[in-house]
Amino acid sequence: MDIFYLKEENLFNFLKTLESEYEVFVPQKSEGKLRLCPFGFEVSHTEYILKEISSVDKENFSYNPYRTIEPLKSFFISTREPITEYFESAFEREQKPRVIFGMKNCDLFSLKIQDFVFLEGVVKDPFYERRRHQNILISSDCFLFKEVCFCTALGIMPYAQEGFDLNFSEVTSGYIVEVGSEKGAKVIQNNYRYFNPATPVQIASCNKKREKFVSNLNQHLILHDLVPKEIIPQIVKEGFNSGVWQELVLNCVECGGCNFICDTCHCFLLSDERFGKINEKIRSWDACLYANFAKVAGGANPLRYRYQRLRNRYLKKFDFFVENLGLLACCGCGRCIEVCPAKIDIREVLKKLAQQYKTQKI
Amino acid sequence: MRLDPYQPIPSRVIDIIEETPTIKTFVLKPQEQVAFSTGQFVELTLPGEGEAPFTPSSDPHIKEELEVTIMKAGRVTSALHSIPKDTTLGIRGPYGKGYPLEEFKNKDILIVGGGVGLAPLRSLIYALLAHPQDYKNIIIRYGARTPQDLLYKKQLSEWAKIKNINLMLTVDTADSNWKGNVGVVTTILKDLPLDLTNAVAVVCGPPIMMKFTTLKLLDLGFRPESIYLSMEKNMSCGLGKCGHCRLGRFYVCKDGPVFKYEEIKEIEDIWE
Ligand code: SF4
Ligand code: SF4
Ligand code: FES
Repeated sequence: MDIFYLKEENLFNFLKTLESEYEVFVPQKSEGKLRLCPFGFEVSHTEYILKEISSVDKENFSYNPYRTIEPLKSFFISTREPITEYFESAFEREQKPRVIFGMKNCDLFSLKIQDFVFLEGVVKDPFYERRRHQNILISSDCFLFKEVCFCTALGIMPYAQEGFDLNFSEVTSGYIVEVGSEKGAKVIQNNYRYFNPATPVQIASCNKKREKFVSNLNQHLILHDLVPKEIIPQIVKEGFNSGVWQELVLNCVECGGCNFICDTCHCFLLSDERFGKINEKIRSWDACLYANFAKVAGGANPLRYRYQRLRNRYLKKFDFFVENLGLLACCGCGRCIEVCPAKIDIREVLKKLAQQYKTQKI
Repeated sequence: MRLDPYQPIPSRVIDIIEETPTIKTFVLKPQEQVAFSTGQFVELTLPGEGEAPFTPSSDPHIKEELEVTIMKAGRVTSALHSIPKDTTLGIRGPYGKGYPLEEFKNKDILIVGGGVGLAPLRSLIYALLAHPQDYKNIIIRYGARTPQDLLYKKQLSEWAKIKNINLMLTVDTADSNWKGNVGVVTTILKDLPLDLTNAVAVVCGPPIMMKFTTLKLLDLGFRPESIYLSMEKNMSCGLGKCGHCRLGRFYVCKDGPVFKYEEIKEIEDIWE
């Protein structure tokens, strides 16, 4: 599809224009220090939080160099929302269409998992389908990484290749804008005054920047000596009875943070509430690290112990989704590593499993 | 399938039958037909309170009404036990895959139930009895904790009279009137009048009973692909989306609730 160029000073105004039709979400910067990671790389601890553009001034708005705090899924399945009323219903499931700016390729990858869950199978989820249909996803290339980023180790590039409506790549004093869908093309068409066709020189410089960044990130990841993605399903499955789960879960406080912040976790719980004469079914995000996640009415609980629940999370990602969709349900965004108060680090969990697997095989 | 998969169909409770001190059967008349095949389950909503999955215990050929047999166990089931007749409940479903009757044709069918696990099996027995010529012997082995915990006493004695049905009961603890077998259900799984080379076994009951029954059946010479198990898991959506009911690479709500032992025997901890 077509490739355009947008001048840096026009970015905010362009996004502002979309406000007439959409709720526009853009990253707001929350300044943090530059720190050295254990391997001597300078990594930024600045965070980017998605806010509605109406509440963000031009000065606070920021083109984010890496992913935002919140996972992309939160724009399609809300943390808690009524999903139906019964038995009389005047239920409107309208939501204003949204533009989400600043998604990264790790987020876009994870949307494949969410799409599989909510659009395939027995039925489509009507909420998800509508939002997926009407929302505009504007992704952008990463040009910095967080200490916890490991997308490329899972074969995911830090720039979007598919699944976006528009994609932005930073080049000198502006952005290369790639069109990824009909929806995206329409947005450009309606705002054509901001855009110029990109020149071959601009495109070449964008490609160079991408290459350079990937090699940068890979250099960092080599030092981490991560488990190769090809063996992950095997070590998780074979590690079912490993003591690693018990050992690493010790400090888990069952906050569910790893589940909620995860780009690919999708579990939810339905509950019922009464408001006068109207009853509602409410859908809330759920977490398999919670004690009662798998408890049945009779009291039996196949995930009674914390280590079983930690293991469940890995089996879901690296066994269930591999078997059913052919994808590892992890995008390497590292959100669960940052959020965990117990410092349970998915990179380390996998490494320990791999070590044990190797010693067992010898 | 309805447009809104989360919207329950209003269903009036037209009768409540007390089966045992802790188990009741609710006869429901849904506003729209809920055409289930035997072994499928529905999500039953107590308005404003909560929802829980149940496999109907009634004859799948009866379209206007359906029955669910419910043991008082958790929050929702206890609340359901206190509702009066004429309450309107909600039904979503039917969901999942039921019993593959096609695979049972021209075979001896061993049906093993434990406690409230006889509920889905009653529906199966009704379905089988609708076409008795399609099946060979139907062997029913049912156990409960005490004689007063036995479900469907009237049907049991009627079934016992049917020619190609062979029925035996057992209780864990007898009372003074009990003349039958005492012991867990595996103690009556011997000298079965069936042809092992041409038989299937269908098992439903508490996890521990399913485990020991399966082991016993394997011992007797049943092949893993001839043993059909009803797996119980925590369920919420019934649609294969909420993630609660995972069993290995399956979701019990959409790939089950009935599985051949062959399909799940490699999965760790299935009896937990
Ligand atoms: S994981 Fe990769 S794609 Fe995601 S923010 Fe980090 S560098 Fe970017
Ligand atoms: S984030 Fe860490 S402490 Fe919280 S539930 Fe997950 S593993 Fe446990
Ligand atoms: S009950 Fe929701 S996925 Fe099975």
